Amino acid sequence: MNSNLFDPALWSRLQFGFTLTYHYLFPQLTMGLAWFLVYWKWRALRTGDEKYNQAVRFWAKIFGLNFAVGVVTGIPMEFQFGTNWAAFTRHSGGVIGQTLAMEGMFAFFLESAFVGALIWGEKRLGPRYHFMAAVAVALGSWLSGYFILVTNAFMQHPVGFQIQADGSLGIASLSTYLLNPWAWVQFAHNQVAALVTGSFVVTAVGAFYALRGLHPLQSRLYLRAGTSTALIASLLVAFPTGDQQAKMVANHQPVTLAAMEGKFTGGSMAGVAVIGQPNIAARRLDNPIEIPGALSFVAYGTFQSYVHGLEEYPEDAWPDNIELLYYSFHLMVMLGTLFIILMAYASFQNWRGRLESNIWLLCVLMLAFPFPYIANTLGWMTAELGRQPWLIYGLYRTQEGYSKVVSNGDVIFTLIGFTGIYFVLGLLFLFLVGWEIVHGPEGKESIANP
Amino acid sequence: MIETWYGILSFMLIMYVVLDGRNFGAGMFHRLVAISPVERRQVVAAIGPLWSWHEVWLVGFGGTLVAVFPRLIASAFAGYYLALFLILWGLILRGISLEVGGHINDRLWQGFWDIAFVFANGLLAILFGAAAGNLVRGVPLDAQGNFSMAFFTDFGVRGHVGLLDWYTVSVAVFAAVLLAAHGATYLTLKTEGPVHDRSAKFAKRLWVVAATLFLGVSIESWVVRPDLPRHVIYTPFCWLGLLLVIASAVTLISGLLTGREMRAFVGSNLLLAGLLATGAAAIFPVILHSTLAPENSLTAYAVASTPEALFLGSIWWPAGFALAVSYFVFISRRYAGKVSVQRDTQGFY
Repeated sequence: MNSNLFDPALWSRLQFGFTLTYHYLFPQLTMGLAWFLVYWKWRALRTGDEKYNQAVRFWAKIFGLNFAVGVVTGIPMEFQFGTNWAAFTRHSGGVIGQTLAMEGMFAFFLESAFVGALIWGEKRLGPRYHFMAAVAVALGSWLSGYFILVTNAFMQHPVGFQIQADGSLGIASLSTYLLNPWAWVQFAHNQVAALVTGSFVVTAVGAFYALRGLHPLQSRLYLRAGTSTALIASLLVAFPTGDQQAKMVANHQPVTLAAMEGKFTGGSMAGVAVIGQPNIAARRLDNPIEIPGALSFVAYGTFQSYVHGLEEYPEDAWPDNIELLYYSFHLMVMLGTLFIILMAYASFQNWRGRLESNIWLLCVLMLAFPFPYIANTLGWMTAELGRQPWLIYGLYRTQEGYSKVVSNGDVIFTLIGFTGIYFVLGLLFLFLVGWEIVHGPEGKESIANP
Repeated sequence: MIETWYGILSFMLIMYVVLDGRNFGAGMFHRLVAISPVERRQVVAAIGPLWSWHEVWLVGFGGTLVAVFPRLIASAFAGYYLALFLILWGLILRGISLEVGGHINDRLWQGFWDIAFVFANGLLAILFGAAAGNLVRGVPLDAQGNFSMAFFTDFGVRGHVGLLDWYTVSVAVFAAVLLAAHGATYLTLKTEGPVHDRSAKFAKRLWVVAATLFLGVSIESWVVRPDLPRHVIYTPFCWLGLLLVIASAVTLISGLLTGREMRAFVGSNLLLAGLLATGAAAIFPVILHSTLAPENSLTAYAVASTPEALFLGSIWWPAGFALAVSYFVFISRRYAGKVSVQRDTQGFY
């Protein structure tokens, strides 16, 4: 990143990065939680057991809070394409506009039409329609994920476009653009990661109730559904989706892979550094502990495969913050590995029927829920920092894309404004989610009937 | 093709204003028609479950605008930088204050969020009104199609204008009153008891004020853009819009006078749609009028995306729209009739 404080692209990048990271804390939960609601609603329909409806009612409140914050923090994202990235929109709106519009027409309409019905409409809708509302919301949220990931995949690996006479981009093939292989891999990786977040949160609430000895039926339900989903999703995040994502980067952004791994010189039998600090000035990885050949194998399938090093590329093609990229990627992988170990152990204990009596394990499960949020954020930092210095990989540089007519001061002002508003919003959100959790699934309605 | 897309985008924006306008209106004077906490819950239940469904039309409009007129987004959004962020922050406050109020059953807590809700809705109605005024008056576009605007300059309507001047402020006031009247008409339809009676009384008064202001704003528009009235006369689409305005005004007035709430509400919706449609047809093909030099103005043709993009959009947009209509029918049927606090507050709201 250009560290010059007078660089306008810097402030727009910070604002977009901050508002997007903050926004994505909410959809990653709703996308994961949505399928729990569908599952419980379906079980309630099949068995008629009231505990499933109780679970849906309780989690729908948490879902509603997340959804609301997701909506209000999502609208600024769409607006910023115009306010802060006007040159980029002028240049490539002809392509990315397609998916931004389709996301609205196909996904958001579906999601927002039924979310109110899901959260407040149980009595208006009746059980069957209420189940359908849950399905509609889950589909809508995943569909919106797909459209926005197609947009991002275009920036990572542009396909289906043509360059117009005036230099801007136009769409050449909508199907090529929509079926970008990068988008499929990224979608799979991202969605199972959202399931990890959702299942960790469900597990954490179950563990909290188990530790407090509250709502035993509900707590068992959450722990069972949470830990098993978390184990499956954590495994899927690593393999095959994470593995495929790494191969995608290796094939299409070799310089990014070199930066993610701190590889300055190329070679075969390239290792994966478990630990080590990239030293840009000396162009080496300090204090590395490596698994030899692992990177060659993961990226290209054989230990002998040649992995490119940063020195093979001109410096202006290097990602502009290699250290941050390296640490984001490595921390994400480390957390992902820990998730698998933790949830494998928890599922095993659950299978033996000893989960609810294992106080230490319950404590860990209760406190583990922030880490999937961190891992998701780190994954996105890896994707977006790795794409630099390009806005559209290989085609259009980040330095070209910001709004030329907007002054630095304006962007700094709105960035500070967002920081303040989102701080208050975060406090409010945590307070209310905490309030709902403390009141619990069997509590009285939080507003007394008149 | 470009004309059709202009029509589609105008339609989506009109849908947004008509749908979310009732929330702005009902939200703005919510404290006046609903005195007791139970009455306020009634108002909130009339808006609550549907606000994100209404707000999504703005999102759909924005996305489609990027696909169809990317260069318009690039010029206008960067130029209106600070004003747009005020709208965004207002939308955040509106959504949040509606959403969190019911979570805790406490008078101080709910009172605070009720006030925040009133404030946010009032601010948004005024800002959207000022935005509409800006579209008619124009912005200081330079020859490259860029502009950057202050909140206000000398309050004049020519040359280097600001967001607010005597014209845009009066349009903003008109919009606030108009949306309030629309919201009152909606609440009359959706509520019972004292809230209903107060809303009905307010609706009549507000429509009288709105009609008076409408005359004033029309004359002002003629002064600000002398070319527009002539354009209205020569554009058949404007006649259709005006016909809709007259027909819906008759429907509205007869509905209000005879106490037929549904008729009044339909009239109110169509009246808003007719006014906006007339305005949209009147300014076409110019979307952003330049106050510096007419030749700098951005027309729909100049900001449109490639023919391929427009063609592809014309394939998927109708499919998406048909789906949206089916949700709309489903939701409207499920939520038809008066709200009941018993049935519509499940846990909160």
